[in-house]
Amino acid sequence: MSVRDYAADVRTNWNWHGIRLVSALVYLSMILPLVVVVVNSFSAQRIATFPPSGLTLDWYVAFFSDEMFLSAVWVSTQVGIAAAILAGAIGTLTAMGFVRKPFPAKKALSIALLTPMIVPPVIVGVAATSFFTEIGLDRNIWWLIVMHTLLALPYAFLIVRSRLYLFDETLEDAAMTLGADRVVTFREITLPQIAPAIVTAMVLSFVISFGEFTASQFWVQRETTTVPVVIYSMVRTTITPKVNVLATLVLVITMVVPVVGFAIQRWLAGDTN
Amino acid sequence: MSSETASTTTETPNRIESIRQRLMESERVGYVLSPGSGLLWVLLFLFLPLTVIVAFSFFRSGEFGTIIYEPTLENYRRFVNGSVYHQVIVRSLVVGVVTTLIVLPFGYTLGYFLGRSKSRWTPVLLGLVVVQFWVPLVIRTYAWIPILGRQGIVNDFLLWVGIIGQPVEILYSTRGMMLGLSVSIMPFMVLPVYSIVSTIDEEIIQAAKTLGASDARAFWEVTLPLSWPGVVSGILFTFILSAGSFLAPQLLGGTSDRLIAPVIETVFSQDFNWPFAATLSLVYVALIVAILYLFSRKADIEEALEGTQI
Repeated sequence: MSVRDYAADVRTNWNWHGIRLVSALVYLSMILPLVVVVVNSFSAQRIATFPPSGLTLDWYVAFFSDEMFLSAVWVSTQVGIAAAILAGAIGTLTAMGFVRKPFPAKKALSIALLTPMIVPPVIVGVAATSFFTEIGLDRNIWWLIVMHTLLALPYAFLIVRSRLYLFDETLEDAAMTLGADRVVTFREITLPQIAPAIVTAMVLSFVISFGEFTASQFWVQRETTTVPVVIYSMVRTTITPKVNVLATLVLVITMVVPVVGFAIQRWLAGDTN
Repeated sequence: MSSETASTTTETPNRIESIRQRLMESERVGYVLSPGSGLLWVLLFLFLPLTVIVAFSFFRSGEFGTIIYEPTLENYRRFVNGSVYHQVIVRSLVVGVVTTLIVLPFGYTLGYFLGRSKSRWTPVLLGLVVVQFWVPLVIRTYAWIPILGRQGIVNDFLLWVGIIGQPVEILYSTRGMMLGLSVSIMPFMVLPVYSIVSTIDEEIIQAAKTLGASDARAFWEVTLPLSWPGVVSGILFTFILSAGSFLAPQLLGGTSDRLIAPVIETVFSQDFNWPFAATLSLVYVALIVAILYLFSRKADIEEALEGTQI
């Protein structure tokens, strides 16, 4: 190794060290807040400091005797599941249409379909509330389901569509040549191929629905309040460690659901091979 | 026997014809239904509501949150004459630009690291970024409160290192808001950059170096231009999400940090002035559309929106 090569090697290493250092800093900033929330949910003090001076499970006990918390978790779960099913189904159907069928203004229409991603959620919230109130609909759980489906739809659409682009359509032709009709072909050939993408789309839709706050704050009622809204209002009024318990449970839910989802997805992928 | 055969041969073409007809009909129905299902949802629950607030913006707010259905330009006049609302809009756009300038170098570095690292821990490290999308934003935002407070970790650390002599106000200030906002948006820069950088062929970079380019030159002239689509996608999301952010300014920002989203919420939910909230929303949407239009002349919006998918 010449001196010049050696110098270059050292320099490269130094660059790489710099990159690693910055990356570590970004990781610290992303992970530290979550660690603090979880640790503080066990903090013995009312005003949590970090690290806490004592540990307790009292806040968990208090949490599980609080009707409002449990109701919010239940509402969020129901809405999340319903939005995942709806966004998954509509997203798949729409993606099939966009990939398989020729129609005019496709590019413009697909951007129209992605607008829920770019309109600021506070405006989605205000607009939907004005609209539903104007036509005389009261705020209820269906309202949340419909709107969360809207917010998750672009993501579901994009995920399924990108899978469909990779799909080999001659497989369908082969099935139909062998006598399968459209329905059978879809069920036996197309669906198993794109099922992992649909599962991903549904998992992401659930997560989006479960975590959405800014638009949802306009749509909840006392009986249909969701987890993020409860967390926000608690943080704005009185921070008690109970909010950390709720956040910790949400962390667990939003970790477990995707992990289970991806296990199903892997199983489906294994099934088709 | 022969008559039976004859009857089937005359029936079969008819049956096939009718099945073909039915298939074509269902085909035609599917033609509209399939892509139309998603478009209908967006039309009914986003475009129609946006049209309703266009109408609202030309009405006046009565007492107790009622609406007086008489056409007026009062709301637009109030916006044009109200310098406080101009400031709010300008401040939101500035926050959008500054957040993008903060997030870009850090997010790019991490995305580049993940795309180039050959460690067996890379999937885990990538997972830690993806997980950020799963944790509700409200949690990732309020979590900064105990960290940034007077007795929080950041102040403790700065005191311990000796950079400061006494605790500084980070929470409920622009600094705190920008920090929380940048970190919460970071994954939207990291992932698109990662997904592009990981597809760049190492040999192209090696080729540049063999031809005499320094590391820096190889990066600026080969890696960076090739990763541009990921950067563009990251910039689009960072700007739009930060300029329209609600949680960071509300939970971490100071009283002078009012951005457009919290102002719209206050006008709508506390002042019950729905027409004026509609006007502010529309002005802001118009601004975003204008920015997207300028953006679309430089890059493909659809591709950029697709960029966060991995």
